[in-house]
Amino acid sequence: MGECVSSVADQFWAQTRNGLTLGAIYAMIALGYTMVYGVLQLINFAHSEVFMVSTVVSFYAFGRWFDVTEPLTGVALAGVLIAALIPAMLASGTTAVLIERTAYRPLRRRGAPRLSFLISAIGASLAISYLFNLMDGQHYLLFIRLPAILGAAPRSIPDVVSSEPLFTLFGASWTARHVLIVASTAVMLIVLDRIVRLTKLGRGIRAVAQDPETASLMGVDIDRVIVITFFIGGVMAGAAGLLYALRFNVTAWNIGFLPGIKAFTAAVLGGIGNLRGAMLGGLLLGLVEAHGTACTAPHWANVIAFLVLVGVLLIRPTGLLGERGVA
Amino acid sequence: MARSWLDERQPWSYGILYLGVLAVAVLLPYLSRWVELPSFLEQATSASALAKTALFVLFALGLNVVVGFAGLLDLGYVAFWAIGAYLGAILTGAADYTQSLRAGDVTVADKPIWEPWMWGILLVAIAVAVLAGILLGLPVLRLRGDYLAIVTLGFGEIIRITANNLDSITLGPQGITSIPHPAIRAGPVDLEWGVLTDIKYYWLLLLFVVLWVIAISKLDRSRIGRAWVAIREDEVAAGSMGVPVVRMKLAAFAIGACTAGVGGVVYAEQVNFINPPTFNVLQSILILCMVVIGGMGSIPGAIVGAVLVTLLPEMFREFNEYRYFVFGVALVVVMALRPQGLWPSRRRTLELRGGMVEDHLPDVATAGGPETG
Repeated sequence: MGECVSSVADQFWAQTRNGLTLGAIYAMIALGYTMVYGVLQLINFAHSEVFMVSTVVSFYAFGRWFDVTEPLTGVALAGVLIAALIPAMLASGTTAVLIERTAYRPLRRRGAPRLSFLISAIGASLAISYLFNLMDGQHYLLFIRLPAILGAAPRSIPDVVSSEPLFTLFGASWTARHVLIVASTAVMLIVLDRIVRLTKLGRGIRAVAQDPETASLMGVDIDRVIVITFFIGGVMAGAAGLLYALRFNVTAWNIGFLPGIKAFTAAVLGGIGNLRGAMLGGLLLGLVEAHGTACTAPHWANVIAFLVLVGVLLIRPTGLLGERGVA
Repeated sequence: MARSWLDERQPWSYGILYLGVLAVAVLLPYLSRWVELPSFLEQATSASALAKTALFVLFALGLNVVVGFAGLLDLGYVAFWAIGAYLGAILTGAADYTQSLRAGDVTVADKPIWEPWMWGILLVAIAVAVLAGILLGLPVLRLRGDYLAIVTLGFGEIIRITANNLDSITLGPQGITSIPHPAIRAGPVDLEWGVLTDIKYYWLLLLFVVLWVIAISKLDRSRIGRAWVAIREDEVAAGSMGVPVVRMKLAAFAIGACTAGVGGVVYAEQVNFINPPTFNVLQSILILCMVVIGGMGSIPGAIVGAVLVTLLPEMFREFNEYRYFVFGVALVVVMALRPQGLWPSRRRTLELRGGMVEDHLPDVATAGGPETG
């Protein structure tokens, strides 16, 4: 125990930096869970695949289209990032909408029990991830050869942002990568928060979250709001996927599973259905995980998130900021 | 009624049917010796494929109690399988022996005799799995359904990661080998299981399946079974009508857990070697597929689902690579188009289809209603 405390103290600022970077990514994925939960009161188990799709697009953008060979700077960096971000976000947003159409809407129409939604979402998640596993140019589906997009082996993504130290804060050196991830997440979270709070669309989302029936009586098109909510959640996961690709330089068909579970944990930690809660929960979970790994061997890192999840659900199932409709 | 020879008022007609099915199941491994079969059927009726199928039928029966009867989505079912398998491997001393073997302290010739212990270990495994089920269940069963799913998923992963990391007890990623086979040596009976005796393992597992089918169908028709249905349909209403909700959920969880525990012990004995990657979350989802495709809450459904999901990849090797994709799609399609599954239970059909009660009360309507036409 003493060793643990001193080890955490030694690496405190470095792990805080790692935790914030990781937490930023979790927070962005968590938004998708929490927004969908807000309007539909169910967990989108397939959200991890929405995230995965974006890491694949990032792989193509950085590794193929722009063929990045060494870390970029300045205008070139900004240009490449934006040019990669747009297709990544669109791909994830589209995947999320497709999931809503195929796995949720038919059940919603019928008023199926909650269990059905969960099972359907698990099926969608399994199908999407294995579709990418099969897309290596060697497999056929209904006699059509699947394109060689990903396949079973993980692909590495080149370094786009420099990992040279930029500045030192309390003895921990921050690289451009860390700064970029944390800063861009902060911007996107603020933008989303403003959209949901101030625009007409945001009002529609909040109305459906609060009371779908009354909202529809007031002229809100529920189906449209739900699709847009899935899309926005998907877009955020798309951005998260790109940042994840920048940070960890890898994509694979099954890469969504752990970040997905952790982001879900983050959403629950902050209070599911609560946007600011998801943001707070993501950052907190990132920090807990980073400091936890300073204490234990790295191969226990994934257990930490699960223990946090179980702990939160037992002690305060409504999360830190409380459960509510998207707000 | 067209099924005149299958009369509900004459239970023996069903008894004959069940015995017939059982006889076919017992003799299935011999089928390819007697008749010329197409190669895919020959593969499907090989003893090893059948033993695997019987194992998954057992698991599907157990998970069906949790998901189908009680309506609790357990995505960490593999954890109890792992617990059973590791108990079998550790309590028999196979773990110690493997460790000494790897360290070079003993040779293969020194292999001790554990066989008579196997049946006792089965009981211990049941007890431990039930205990694990209750320990996991007590805190999490109060949670909403979707939270339960993700917490059980986490539990499954924690068990797997723990097995991977606890080198001193589970031997970590290297796994445990030399797990002994069971034997029965009582007076004149000398029955031994061994390395190439898949057929005996199949019969052993079939025995468990039969026991489980009898026990679970009794349970389904008992007070407990009705309590599960009540909880599944409306937990709050069930609770206010005096159904002990948490205790009944715990019972479902414990029964599911002990089924997987039993299967786990037999699995470890049969394959002789276990390591953590076997017990991944995909296995839990695959067992869930069996229950869902067959029909949640239906015992024949769980059996049909398990047979389909296990044997299709065995029959068509090319299908093996596609199976997770196909089963994923199957989950979505079944939920959208046929939520009651391939072989539905009558009660469950009512519920999932949104309950057109009139359709299902023809007897009352015709018996009590006025004569028309």
